[in-house]
Amino acid sequence: MRALATFILTAGLSAANQADYYLREEIPLPPGEVMEIGSIALMPGKKLAVTTRRGDLWIATGAYDDDLSKVRWSKFAHGLHEPLGMFWKDDSLWLTQRPEVSRLHDRNGDGKADEFETISDGWGSRGDYHEYAFGSEPDRDGNVWVALCLTGSFTADADWRGWCVRVTSQGEMIPTCSGIRSPGGIGFNSEGDCFYTDNQGIWNGSSSLKWLKPGSFQGCPVGNKFHELAKLPAPPAVSDKSRILAERKKHPDFIPPAVIFPHARIGQSPTGIACDTSAGAFGPWRDQLYVAEQTHSQVQRVCLEKVNGIYQGAVFHFLDGFEAGLIPIRFDPKAGLLFAGGSNRGWGSRGSKPFTLERVRWTGRTPFEIKTMSARRDGFILEFTSPVDPTSAGDPASYSMDAWTYIHQADYGSPEVDQATLKVTAATVSPDQLKVHLTIDGLVQGHVHHLKAPGVRSSATAPLWHPEAFYTLNEIPR
Amino acid sequence: MSFSISPRIACLLGLATSPLAAQDGGQLYTTHCSACHAIDGQGATAGTFPPLAGSPWVNSEAALAIQIVLHGLDGPVEVQGKTYNLAMPPQGAVLADPEIAAILSYTRSSWGNRSSVVSPADVAAARKASTGRTKPWTAPELLKLHPLVIEKSALTNLTSQAYFGEWSDLPDFTQLKAENIEEENSGLISVRHGLRNDHFGVVWLAEFNAPEDGEYLFRLDCDDFGRVIVNGTSLMEIREIGPMGRAKEGRITLTKGKHPIRIEYAEVAGDQGIALAWKGPGMERWKPLSDLTSGGGGNPWPNIPIIPPTGEAVVYRNFIEGTTPRAIGIGLPGGVSFAWSADHFAPELVWTGLFMDGGRHWTDRGVGNDPPAGERIIKLANAPALATAAEASERWPDRPTLAARFRGYRFESPEIPTFSIEAAGLKLLDRYQAGAPDTLDRTLRMTGRPSEPLLLLLARELPITATGDGRFSLGDRLAVEVRSPKPARLLGDGSLVLPLEAGTTAEIRYLWR
Repeated sequence: MRALATFILTAGLSAANQADYYLREEIPLPPGEVMEIGSIALMPGKKLAVTTRRGDLWIATGAYDDDLSKVRWSKFAHGLHEPLGMFWKDDSLWLTQRPEVSRLHDRNGDGKADEFETISDGWGSRGDYHEYAFGSEPDRDGNVWVALCLTGSFTADADWRGWCVRVTSQGEMIPTCSGIRSPGGIGFNSEGDCFYTDNQGIWNGSSSLKWLKPGSFQGCPVGNKFHELAKLPAPPAVSDKSRILAERKKHPDFIPPAVIFPHARIGQSPTGIACDTSAGAFGPWRDQLYVAEQTHSQVQRVCLEKVNGIYQGAVFHFLDGFEAGLIPIRFDPKAGLLFAGGSNRGWGSRGSKPFTLERVRWTGRTPFEIKTMSARRDGFILEFTSPVDPTSAGDPASYSMDAWTYIHQADYGSPEVDQATLKVTAATVSPDQLKVHLTIDGLVQGHVHHLKAPGVRSSATAPLWHPEAFYTLNEIPR
Repeated sequence: MSFSISPRIACLLGLATSPLAAQDGGQLYTTHCSACHAIDGQGATAGTFPPLAGSPWVNSEAALAIQIVLHGLDGPVEVQGKTYNLAMPPQGAVLADPEIAAILSYTRSSWGNRSSVVSPADVAAARKASTGRTKPWTAPELLKLHPLVIEKSALTNLTSQAYFGEWSDLPDFTQLKAENIEEENSGLISVRHGLRNDHFGVVWLAEFNAPEDGEYLFRLDCDDFGRVIVNGTSLMEIREIGPMGRAKEGRITLTKGKHPIRIEYAEVAGDQGIALAWKGPGMERWKPLSDLTSGGGGNPWPNIPIIPPTGEAVVYRNFIEGTTPRAIGIGLPGGVSFAWSADHFAPELVWTGLFMDGGRHWTDRGVGNDPPAGERIIKLANAPALATAAEASERWPDRPTLAARFRGYRFESPEIPTFSIEAAGLKLLDRYQAGAPDTLDRTLRMTGRPSEPLLLLLARELPITATGDGRFSLGDRLAVEVRSPKPARLLGDGSLVLPLEAGTTAEIRYLWR
């Protein structure tokens, strides 16, 4: 009997196949070129621009077409310094390179950049390979947000390392947030608020998605000293071996990670961020964020909400099996295409190729998933992508929840600590069967709340494609 | 209906996460280690990460591997004849002692490894021994504490004979008298047997123990000359002066048993080194016969020369040795190159010959500064090149107060780069073009309305002398000619400066000798 139950459960789980919902396709790259993709930009006329870690910039035509074998590439520029951020604006490609934000023009119209205008190079570099600069697309005011990695990811040996700065289109550099360690990507949500991913390491117990609220401190005090350069207030001197919740109670400028990605449970090094600004061109994930993952060669899905003025939310497993470690992703809301690129150089991944460029399309079939997870005073509301079976979804035993947090410390990473086992006391299905209100005993402010819902079935008896979520409960709604 | 999940199914679903449960080393390895070291322990992405299978770093004293997992390992590390230059992140704050013990026990017993189990107590002891360590280890630091245990050498009855002399090729050692003869019980050859740093030779004699019948491959790398003779047959010879990193291979068919081997080596001057390794029938990995197991002084990256396309300049923006981090390397057609510093607003290095090699920065994480690949490299200056005439009246300031701004570069045609700078109302266009062989032509165009008189630094901290007619020698290999409405002049500290005047153009020519 037990064996049979196992078999049914396993069969049910494996029935959900990514290709039923999303088609992942490799975009052919120019033969013989080393295309370690560091950034992707969408261009008019269904063209796609990419930069490589070696400093080349290529433009593809045909990357939107059904037949990818006809993709053509032309080299627009070379000799760039490891760009990690690019967009098209005002007839130009704008780049965030290691040393600067630049604007590339093709003045003579021969298809190659001939002017490399430096917009801002207001931050420092000691010449350390880890001093990466990740740049955003323009915000609503036209500013580029740049997240500056620490020197060697441990120290701040050059100006503004460990900070996020904004660069205006006129080239003014505005120091905006402190407390950064080692970013992997930067982007906006549908509200226009800026987020970046920071990686597990010093002062980062686990990797996370963080909200770059202007004036905020992101948790890592190594680069704090640079406030003196711009006569800004000193960022918080946080205590070692503490907890984020304890520190942010002392230091209101400390904005906690919006969503923690528990190390090894859901990726190990989050990178690029893309917001689904389509009205359903990629499935029912409107306004959600897709977050790329280097080590596990994946894309995770994030839903956010603001509680007491602070962002928080859940991360779900989403797309898997990319061919190399992903770095940038870009979403085209009109075409409903997610472009992803990456490289295995220097950091390994589950993907087996040295570099990759891929696109993902929705098949039109929607998986049975938890669409959103939202905190309540007494638990969570789960919204599903299709009606649930009220019997299984209404049974508290179909769910389990545990919770933990991390030590906020100068050591590299943290174990999961302060574990709590929570009790799902009620599961109330909404009349339209699209929502379940979980009543939970023992919510812990500041903890990652780990939901498992293996027992839930859709009204068509399907199990969840991914019956797991990690919700970071920075604030408990009043 | 309400169904509860049986403990067994809970386990299958991964609900059991108690840290006290028995640890599955293989599963933990897959989660935490396999992205880089690969599921099969061979190093991910076709061996661009270090293998753990057969690695002495895994299979020596357990404390060595434990320390690497606890604190990480940063920088170059040599594993089975290949150097990797990466960074392994520390795991000591993330993984508990039983987890580390399980991972290492799995690693030390998988993929052909046959080393002892690691207990949580071993990990706890290693943690205690390294209390207070906050940085990742480097390989040399760790090797001082925990030397590698290399398996027994295939050489027995090894002797070394040291010779002293100045040679321009491998000498006929049979005609020379050895200064010293030693038995070498390690079974490994070493340049230390030469007893000197320069002008010496060594001949090693030994028996090579072939484990079975078949074809054997030998690989020799040395600085400078060397050759290997097995059963009276010379397998390979290195007969040019040069560094490590020029390995040659040779093959011979051997029967199982002992065979006489003779290794000859001679060093001229400078660096020295010898590395010898072998592979038997069906063996995947090289086994060392020397204390150095690879190119030693050689670079751990391949050569990727960057060459200007015909008629075009090539740009290499990266960390270039000898200038600042915001370096823009330009290779012009015709073989003159320079590195323009966007931190200092000027060319700081000029050279001829090959431009740059991308191997260092385009392999692994791309650590460090890369020197120009060419020759006759001249460092012109090492400070911001724009200052007010007032602050640079006597000597060039290391940190001028004048706020200058780099505005980018452009190509009016693909072989002519022009850099753009703004300072105090002056706009400066700094244009470069290859001239006659071994010359670099630079044109400075100045526009705008500067708020005060400005100077441009052309060179300093070189033996600079005026040779008349706007000409200066910059050391003994480079000269510069300056044609400008306001002539270039030397400051009291020997710096060569050019007064900048809006509405004028200055022509500057660099000539190599």
